[in-house]
Amino acid sequence: MANPLLEVKGLTVSYGDVRALEDVSLEVEEGSIVALVGSNGAGKSTLLKAIAGLLHPSRGHMLFNAEELGRLSTKHRVDRGIVLVPEGRRLFQTLTVLENLRLGAYLPRARANFDESLERVFGLFPVLKERANGKAGLLSGGEQQMLAIARAVMAHPKLVMIDEASLGLSPILTRTIFELIVALNQQGTTVLMVEQNIHMALNICNRAYVMKTGNIVLSGTGEELLANVDVRKAYMGERGGKL
Amino acid sequence: MKLIPDFSRVGRRKLIWAIVAAVVVVFFATLPFYYDVSEGEFGIFFFTVFIYGIVAQGWNLVAGYTGQISLGQNAFFGLGAFTTALLWFWDITHTGYWFDPVLMVLSMVAPAIVAILVGLPLLSRLRGDYFSFGTLGIGMIISVIFLNGGRITGGSEGKLLIKVMPEGVEFNLQTHYWVSFAVAVFATAVVYFLTTSRVGLALKAIREDEVSAASHGINVLKYKIMSFAVAAALAGIAGSVYCYYLLHPMPMNVFNMNFLFLPLVMVVLGGTGTIVGPWIGALIVYLIAWYGDKFFSGWHPVILGVVMILVMLLMPSGLAGLGEKLPHWGAGGSVGRRSK
Amino acid sequence: MTSFIQVVINGIMLGSMYGIAAAGLSLIFGTMRVIYLAQGTTIVFFAFVTYWLFVKAGIDPYLCLLIVVPLAFLVGLFLFYTFFRKAAALEDKNVSLLIAVGLMYLIENAMLKVWSANPRGLDIPYADATIAGWGLRVAWVRVALLGLAVLSAFVVYLFLKRTRLGTAVRAAAEDMEATTLQGINSTWVCAISFAVGIGLAGVAGVGMATVYSFDYQFGFTFAIKALIALSLGGIGNVFGALAGGLILGVIENLTAYYISISWIEAASYGVFILVLIFLPQGLFGRREIVKKV
Repeated sequence: MANPLLEVKGLTVSYGDVRALEDVSLEVEEGSIVALVGSNGAGKSTLLKAIAGLLHPSRGHMLFNAEELGRLSTKHRVDRGIVLVPEGRRLFQTLTVLENLRLGAYLPRARANFDESLERVFGLFPVLKERANGKAGLLSGGEQQMLAIARAVMAHPKLVMIDEASLGLSPILTRTIFELIVALNQQGTTVLMVEQNIHMALNICNRAYVMKTGNIVLSGTGEELLANVDVRKAYMGERGGKL
Repeated sequence: MKLIPDFSRVGRRKLIWAIVAAVVVVFFATLPFYYDVSEGEFGIFFFTVFIYGIVAQGWNLVAGYTGQISLGQNAFFGLGAFTTALLWFWDITHTGYWFDPVLMVLSMVAPAIVAILVGLPLLSRLRGDYFSFGTLGIGMIISVIFLNGGRITGGSEGKLLIKVMPEGVEFNLQTHYWVSFAVAVFATAVVYFLTTSRVGLALKAIREDEVSAASHGINVLKYKIMSFAVAAALAGIAGSVYCYYLLHPMPMNVFNMNFLFLPLVMVVLGGTGTIVGPWIGALIVYLIAWYGDKFFSGWHPVILGVVMILVMLLMPSGLAGLGEKLPHWGAGGSVGRRSK
Repeated sequence: MTSFIQVVINGIMLGSMYGIAAAGLSLIFGTMRVIYLAQGTTIVFFAFVTYWLFVKAGIDPYLCLLIVVPLAFLVGLFLFYTFFRKAAALEDKNVSLLIAVGLMYLIENAMLKVWSANPRGLDIPYADATIAGWGLRVAWVRVALLGLAVLSAFVVYLFLKRTRLGTAVRAAAEDMEATTLQGINSTWVCAISFAVGIGLAGVAGVGMATVYSFDYQFGFTFAIKALIALSLGGIGNVFGALAGGLILGVIENLTAYYISISWIEAASYGVFILVLIFLPQGLFGRREIVKKV
């Protein structure tokens, strides 16, 4: 088997004295969708931020395409193809949709592919084309989430990390967003997603990791975890369970 | 609050500090018996240190314990000086003592009242930088009012008080030394007791997280205004004492930016939010100013500016904060944090 | 009526100075949430530089723009990387505020030592040239000042709206972390906006030298005026800041004419406090921007 696209080994991250992540390891195969699930405060967002280079781990390794990321800045990680869609979308509300997309393709490598990426994005999210010159802040919640993902796609990424794509969206919109994520993945982009909506996440992912208080406690394919009694009990409303 | 509150937990440390404080107080209280403060240069040196230190201690209460940066301290200082000068000049209280206690008290009351009046709108609506600029504006307005006060305030000329000196009084710096020292002890005691009491707890809660403090039933506005008013009162009494030294307060000298800037450097250098910090800072800053002026005539403000910037860049919790290990910048005893 | 219009016109000319300074403050505050209180003192510094270039090298003050503005830009980069890079990243904005206060004190007193306390003014040969009509008179140098203010606001506006870096500056003003996540070096973006802000201080410095006499202490009052203009105009809007400056200039001149010259300061600080308390988003600002502050 080839090297995974992203490999995290023994990662520990602390905020002051508080350990947010302890000895976390995971692998993301190229072309797959990997889901990261678990309750609030389990450290999922922290893990994504560390991979994006917003936080620096005190211990452990992150390998991307078998290259150590070390203390590379976010800029260099984006340049290598790692892009994070942050929790809460964090769009530039007062800027237009197009300006948001332009900022997504800020680095030279992405800019070189700007037209191509824009076409791809407008193909995936036709609504953004209609709203291209409107302010991002005036989009609906679902459209904003689409723009947030689209902005990441503009960076011409190999790995898109999506933090809570379904946050604040209706079940129907959540389904739409998930379908778009699958479509994106089928175009060849690897996806690492943190998700509250565990049932849906496990349904579309190839592999999933369950996190609890800074540790990975369980991993497996989506089907395996969907069938796992503890997972069902802890996160899908069934009673009892050890997690 | 770094050095002091640990006392309650560590009895021995508390004792040591109490002894140190007692020795320092006794030393300064008895200094005139073995050193001629009225002639020797250290008399005026310490007098000035005390004056600035009192203002600093007040600023420290607002900045260090509630996290609000007031940029209007010089106005309260000038207001205190002018309260004394005008009441004295127009003989309104008919007391007319040298270092008149009535005037000194009124010079605390007047700035405190102004602080409450302006504090109500400013502190209820403004936070962080905006509060700072509001106080800056208020300070400017106060000094402009005195500049334009015509015959009553004497305009830019101020009031010449030598003409109305009480009879039989001899200008002797020894009195200034003792009065300023007594006021310094008083100011420190006020801040100490305020911050170690329940009030101090409330202030610290406000500094750490205003919203959470409010949700725990702390009347945030009341405590902010109170500390702002106490700081104004302390600046006012310092101005009053200084007025007895100047004997000719003019807007230009009592509203001088030095009475804003120097106390500020003193506090941040010594350690914001500590009791001893402002005094360590006052001593060092004034030493720099004193000897800086001697050796590099006129350059000492530049040196102080550099000191200020270096302190903020390298040790924002000041000298008193160096004793504590800080996990990161701006924690604990540094200049207060602004709540989101 | 003619005198009223004359007073308003003079006010607009005066206010254009405040406007340029406020636009610079706005840019710096917008991206870093730092009020650069030393702005006015920095402006006076560049006025002194212009003065020197004029007196020592005989360079026409408007030509000085070509030297002073790039110099100011570099000074801005220097100031940012030396003093504000780390402090600006802190949540505790008091650190930056106090650094700016220290810087102001430092520059002001250094200028006192170097250039003494005497007020300076440039003896420009064409200072007396005026345009007149309908009973109104305006000196050309003042018209030029207004032109300079409008032009620099327009240049900054174009930079923000039409360039990639400018778009990044606007993005950073809204959300620094999200900007970083696009692969943008947000420190560099901050440095650029700081440098552009100081560049505007350079423009204002030249403008000050051409029209007014100035001394080392003038800067502090001036910074406050810029701040007032900024609060009037609302943060995050270059033309708003400029308009705020013009309004302030008019208020000041009307006060001087109809009340007394000695109440100018009280009037402008009064306006400042009223605006801070009752209209914190300014006249042209957007509410949501203030909420974030």
